[in-house]
Amino acid sequence: MKPAAFRYRAVGSLEEALDVLSEHGEDVTIIAGGQSLMPLLNLRLARPEILLDINRIADLAFLEITADAVKMGAMTRAATVEHHAEVKQVLPVVPQAIAHIGHPQIRNRTTIGGNVAHADPSSELPGVLACLEGSVQLQSKTRGTRTVGWEDFFQSVFTTDKQPDELVTGVTFPITEPWRYSYQEVAARHGDYPVAGVTVGILEQAGVLEQVRISVVGVADRPVRLRTLEERSSGMAATAATAAVLGRFARNEVPASDDVHVSAEYRKAIVGTLVSRTVSSLLEEIGP
Amino acid sequence: MTDVQQFSCTVNGLQVSTAVDTRTSAADFLRQELGLTGTHVSCEQGVCGSCTILVDDAAVRSCLLLAMQLHGAVVETVESLGGLDELSTLQQTFSAEHGLQCGFCTPGILMTVEAAKRAGTSAVAVVDELLPGHLCRCTGYDNIRKAVQVYLSPEA
Amino acid sequence: MSLMQRPSLVGANVQRVNDPRLLTGEGRFVDDINLPGMVHASILRSYLPAGRIESFEAGSNAEAWVLGPDQIAAATREIPCVWIAPGQQQLSNPVASRALRYVGQPFAIAVAGSRAEAEDVAESVAVQIEPLESVGDARDALMPGAPLVYQEAASNLAVEFSIGDTSEELDAVFAAAPHVIERTFRIPRIVPSPMETRGLIASWNPGSSELTVWMSTQTPHHVRDHIALCLGLRADQVRVIAGDVGGGFGSKEHVYADEVMVCLAAMTLKRPVKWIEDRLEHFTATFHGRDAYHHARLAVDHDGTFLAIQSTITGNVGAHLSNVGTGPFRVSSIMLPGPYRFAKVGTRITAAFTNTTPTGAYRGFGMQEAAWVRERLVEEAARVLGKSPVELRDQNMFRSDELPVMTRTFQEYDSGDYRRALRLVADRIAAYRPPASEPRIRRGVGLATHVEFTGLGPSASQDFVGFRLGGYETTVVRMEPDGSVFVSSGVMGMGQGIETTLAQLVAENLGVPIERVRVQLGDTASAPYSAAGSIASRSITVGGGAAVMAASHLRDKLLRIAGHQLEISPADLELVAGEVRVKGETRPALDLEHLVTRSWLGLDLPDGESPDLEHKSVHDPKNIAYPYATHGAAVSVDLDTGQVTVDAYWVAHDSGVVVNPSIVDGQIMGGVAQGLGIALFEKMIYGPEGDPRSTTFMDYLLPLSSNLPRFTLDHFETPAPHIPGGMKGIGEGGTIVAPPTIANAIAAAVPEIADQLVETPLNASRLWTLMHEAGLHDD
Repeated sequence: MKPAAFRYRAVGSLEEALDVLSEHGEDVTIIAGGQSLMPLLNLRLARPEILLDINRIADLAFLEITADAVKMGAMTRAATVEHHAEVKQVLPVVPQAIAHIGHPQIRNRTTIGGNVAHADPSSELPGVLACLEGSVQLQSKTRGTRTVGWEDFFQSVFTTDKQPDELVTGVTFPITEPWRYSYQEVAARHGDYPVAGVTVGILEQAGVLEQVRISVVGVADRPVRLRTLEERSSGMAATAATAAVLGRFARNEVPASDDVHVSAEYRKAIVGTLVSRTVSSLLEEIGP
Repeated sequence: MTDVQQFSCTVNGLQVSTAVDTRTSAADFLRQELGLTGTHVSCEQGVCGSCTILVDDAAVRSCLLLAMQLHGAVVETVESLGGLDELSTLQQTFSAEHGLQCGFCTPGILMTVEAAKRAGTSAVAVVDELLPGHLCRCTGYDNIRKAVQVYLSPEA
Repeated sequence: MSLMQRPSLVGANVQRVNDPRLLTGEGRFVDDINLPGMVHASILRSYLPAGRIESFEAGSNAEAWVLGPDQIAAATREIPCVWIAPGQQQLSNPVASRALRYVGQPFAIAVAGSRAEAEDVAESVAVQIEPLESVGDARDALMPGAPLVYQEAASNLAVEFSIGDTSEELDAVFAAAPHVIERTFRIPRIVPSPMETRGLIASWNPGSSELTVWMSTQTPHHVRDHIALCLGLRADQVRVIAGDVGGGFGSKEHVYADEVMVCLAAMTLKRPVKWIEDRLEHFTATFHGRDAYHHARLAVDHDGTFLAIQSTITGNVGAHLSNVGTGPFRVSSIMLPGPYRFAKVGTRITAAFTNTTPTGAYRGFGMQEAAWVRERLVEEAARVLGKSPVELRDQNMFRSDELPVMTRTFQEYDSGDYRRALRLVADRIAAYRPPASEPRIRRGVGLATHVEFTGLGPSASQDFVGFRLGGYETTVVRMEPDGSVFVSSGVMGMGQGIETTLAQLVAENLGVPIERVRVQLGDTASAPYSAAGSIASRSITVGGGAAVMAASHLRDKLLRIAGHQLEISPADLELVAGEVRVKGETRPALDLEHLVTRSWLGLDLPDGESPDLEHKSVHDPKNIAYPYATHGAAVSVDLDTGQVTVDAYWVAHDSGVVVNPSIVDGQIMGGVAQGLGIALFEKMIYGPEGDPRSTTFMDYLLPLSSNLPRFTLDHFETPAPHIPGGMKGIGEGGTIVAPPTIANAIAAAVPEIADQLVETPLNASRLWTLMHEAGLHDD
């Protein structure tokens, strides 16, 4: 399986990249880590006129931690974040989710921007972004920079709000102390795309779940938040029984459909199990 | 309408400067242009790991890299590990533990283990996290695990 | 079991001779070879399950070189089927045709300077395909009114025949039986998936009128014969060279139409043409394994004695009969009884054409299906009757003193102690301490047994069952003038270490250090003819047997010459570690090097002895060799996700004399991994109309290292009484009996769904669904 021919452009600066995008827009496919794109190129399912390689843009490989957020440049490698001591401390859910992306050999190349921009409905990071209520930074030559919230950014399967002349330059994961977050998924084998992946955030105070956030990937064309359940759970006791209840409600609320591998019923059951397990593990973290 | 461009990199210690059809994968470049046929292509989807090489000390899938993306990088393939006359300890260990049968997946696994050794990764972490990134259809994996454990364990 | 004095190289963990090159990247797989002037091919394949090519136009691009279906059909003869079932009408298949019958069927070839450019050319060809109705499932295909795979036929029935006792006899037994366990089993399709896909380089030399083909194949001579036949060449005009082969598992044991096309392209272009199957192609272009329904039943007496076993098999042969055709269904039948006594055994095989990839040889070749059916029925019998699964098996197994014994399906089981293997695994299971219990995790242990058909086989028997290939193997052992030993055999290496084990057998039986022995395989120009090649677990048995014979004969010759020169009876001499000695003495009796040199000069020879220090032995075995094993597994089942973890795995196994224990262990473990894949993950998914839906490694799941447990392997060695050297085959056993072993453990863990465990893969979503339907998730 060899790609159809394309024109290859490797650029060394953000400015150059935006020039190419501005001029050629629709004809350009951006390659960052390539772990999702190269298989599509090899299968000739993607057939770009111009392949824009942004790997040499050093300015996009940043990682900034402030009190409010971890902001990652688009070219930050997944493996870098996975092992980043400070990120593990201030926002452990992100490295936790990243550890499920394929295998380490894949994560050595996967980029945060590329993964998010690819918008695979089973992908882990978009689910984490949805739970943290994060955002994506985009830039174009003619319109400058803009920030798009996760809900507006992820539109459908492999479809985002990114315009043809734009580049995803960064991804922002908010830090919302004292919320606690955790990610779990069920996959057929170690490293596979998940049947479903769940990110749960809880704001617990004195044995009560003040607020809960639950996002799910793998069940729809983009990450979904179980908003009805989130509202219902506000005020519930922070106990194991609640974890089980939340699991059952999640199973009922989550949308799902059959696919060639699993039934909708199974997928929903998995979501329920994941929600109850994730809530339980967060409660265990908090302790008695 | 082939797009041909130049790039340069270091492969197994040697400087390489050449031109390629830009759609050429790093795997095909290494195998066909440089004759380094030890790196094998099996799935071209990044799933099986047979094509794993080291780029700047990191184990990566050469089927998911364009040759052009090797520009400026330090590339190492299985041919850098040891020669027929002098197998490296890693290679000898795999043979002694019968950690290969047809040998097609083997070079990729060796490169992953080599990268792990450099990074100080424990044998347990290699077995639990890195080895699942390699498909083997022949061995059933147990002897590969043993070879990894023997090679990376402190007493070795 | 007799204790045999064994020579030291046999039974030794000699490190494999091909390891150094494989570990250093110096292997020679077919894609590693490049020839001057070589060009690359891309194969055009049907994207519809059924259709007719209405028009075919290669692009107007002058650089585009294409051979279309009409050109290919006109230039080739059909590829013969090799295993012919009773009443089989289809005896061969065209290399190319305008009639398309499965997705992946090759119909044209494009050639260009690189593979990428060849794919560009292939894309530029304008093909108009008229779609036709299609059917993917064998049972659907046999329904009245089903779309016809062959329009001119009356139905999709390919072949129908029975094995063993008659249905009347069986009905009588079942009608009278106190207990009958009856289930419908489904064994889905398996994609062989060796890590090295198929591929070849074909090169035509017009000056010598010789076609040279470097190919990833298990059967160089067989491929050579068919390539010559298809292209109208004499056998001596075709040379097939197999170098390093990255796994075969049966999928590379014959020539494929696309490979013939590559050869034709090379002859037409007069340039070497390389084609390497890519992974996407492999999923539909390489023949699949399995795909059968077994409606089966087991009759059991009051006291647990097995009375009869029967299966009605609906098999899917795919769009055309492959070279082995319904062979796997036949082998399913003849090995159905396993190690147990039955008064009656019978099957009826109905094989259907469907619009899917043809099915053919895959590790286990019908035995995996037989073990699945039998061992699940036996396990269910134990559960239903409230008997111990171990005791029920034990009371019905042939005892070692009953062997040799002829089964109801005409297999003469040769030697072994089936009950001993069963007992050993049962003891290991009894001693097993499972992990600490956890809520929502169920744990269970299970075992299964089998007897395996290996060392195919006596040529006369093969002919009797319609398998039109000779069953013998030939080995040539030659001591060169410098004392080095060259071994040439018709079998082929593909990772199973045969190069090393043949060297061990020759070195030990000849009496020379192994360092002096070189085994060469795979080149039809130098390898002695092998009709069947490396299939059916026959390399060490039939090929090794020939090696033992040839080495022994050469040793005897050397001792005759030495005896003549020393004026001692050869019976008083021995050849050990490369030295001729008088028995009982430790120093050499003469200078062997000198003897060898003189012999090749034609000097100092006894009357009637020829100078060449070479012997060729042909070994046509007298019988199949029957190894056997019991496997055991411990599993954990997650009630909420359906995921299964195999926590422990035990094997007690007897494949006769073990030449290289590491290699034998490796074959078992690798086989079990494929069996675990079948049990828990692998299924080639087709839609009802034959549209393939799992065509990448993301959809077709192979087991990872994280899925395989540590193994505990035990061996006994009951020599094969009829094989020189005593070896029985080893290659397939793990794959055959691992699936029911794991299923039986799952059944023990979740007995509520035991009667539903009839279809593989028992993946997480299927198990969850079964548990859900059984009410296990009701809160």
